Amino acid sequence: MSQPEFSEEELLQRAGRGDARSFDQLYDRLAPRLFGLLCRMLHDEREAEDVLQDGFVLLWERAATFDAERSKAFTWAVMLFRHKAIDRMRMLGRRNRLVDSAVLEQTTLAGPAYSGVDDEVQAHERSLVVHAALNELPKEQRQLIEFAFLKGLTHHVIAESLGIPLGTVKTNIRRGLLRLRDLLKGGA
Amino acid sequence: MDEERFEELAAMNALGMLENDEKRALDGAIARDKDVRSLTLELEQVTAELAYLIKPVEPPANMKKRIRSKMRAKGVKGAGISRGVIIGGSGWALAAGFALASVWLWQDRAGMTRQLADASRAMAPVNNPATPVVDDGKTRTLEEELKKRRDEFESQKRALQAEIESLRKQETDAKAQTVKLIAEVAALKQQEQESQLQIATLQSKVWEYRRSEMLVVWDQKRSQGVVVLDKMPKVQSDQDYQLWVVDPNKPDPVSAGVVTVDSKGSVKASFKPVEAVSGEAKFALSIEKKGGVPKSEGQLLMVGP
Repeated sequence: MSQPEFSEEELLQRAGRGDARSFDQLYDRLAPRLFGLLCRMLHDEREAEDVLQDGFVLLWERAATFDAERSKAFTWAVMLFRHKAIDRMRMLGRRNRLVDSAVLEQTTLAGPAYSGVDDEVQAHERSLVVHAALNELPKEQRQLIEFAFLKGLTHHVIAESLGIPLGTVKTNIRRGLLRLRDLLKGGA
Repeated sequence: MDEERFEELAAMNALGMLENDEKRALDGAIARDKDVRSLTLELEQVTAELAYLIKPVEPPANMKKRIRSKMRAKGVKGAGISRGVIIGGSGWALAAGFALASVWLWQDRAGMTRQLADASRAMAPVNNPATPVVDDGKTRTLEEELKKRRDEFESQKRALQAEIESLRKQETDAKAQTVKLIAEVAALKQQEQESQLQIATLQSKVWEYRRSEMLVVWDQKRSQGVVVLDKMPKVQSDQDYQLWVVDPNKPDPVSAGVVTVDSKGSVKASFKPVEAVSGEAKFALSIEKKGGVPKSEGQLLMVGP
């Protein structure tokens, strides 16, 4: 018997009630995007696979706590998987490791990605909005946010690595994220 | 701490940049101030949206299997089968579920055996062992590379053999359980002919009770039943768990008495509601004052089916 087409939020809620088939479908929809994120963060496919595996076990265990009124299933999952990835970096001792300042220039998020699959249309539309909002930010704020998002480093390490005063890192991150929030809400 | 400082901590938290002491400071502020809590969550959501810009990468084809395997290894509840199953009058659904699980275990074992064979084939010797290869910027001979790979495959082989053993054991257990269940179902069918028997399993959405389980066997004809509770947290000394039967024809749930669990949070007890229940019954469990109350005042922990 085929299962009707559910949204990602519905699938996550059903998984929270113990529906293994919905969990399976949710995996099919989210895994490529989450795996892409983990590969970018960890720079190691094997590590990314391990975190993806642990992350989905955790997602199944925590699915019952998902509240569709507070977040999208995808962003909820991203928060969970990013925490796992940062924990892994900490374990590997990468979180406190200095990086070359040239890396800042190279660490950028790609433009909107679209594989042409129908159920990714919504994700693609949202990626266009996020990309446009990110490009509205001043370069120094955008670069720091992208760098922090993908590297999972502490602010001290970022400041030291990039030779930027700690206060400047904090201020740019704060202003940039608040502005991004306003832009994503549709504000000027 | 001023507003700007909170915003700074919330923003850095969203990106995972905080040091431990700063994280503790923010957690304290979140617990005290709902505005900080709301801002922190909002910025976490904003940050997570950046992931829309990441190019998707297809995970390995066996990843689903690995996830299921990890769930089994961790003993994660409901791995591979749905939980919260409501057993209807005869309980055949549960027996069918176990039969399917046995088939699935058998297929999984067959898959593992194939993987083992692939791993053994991959260990076949390679010609020209002195040819240097480059890996991670280091040059090592093919011989060294082969030794490394052989060790990896040996380790993988041992892990697979252990997993096959574990699956065999699970299969045997599942078969034994299926036989037991079929016998139980036959007994239940016999009982059902004499009564209107309803069996329901309930699970809670309250976080502290997520591992708790409740099974109710309800004889509608006799208006009495048996409740089984397991993994229930302790209640305070001035409180009791109280069982309720929800009759669709009555405005309020009907008390079925207090239920006292042992030190392991388990109990099996018979119950009879204080009033007759005529409609299709539902069941609920709440925490009430010691000795129970005539009308529910406390938090409902489990309701169903």
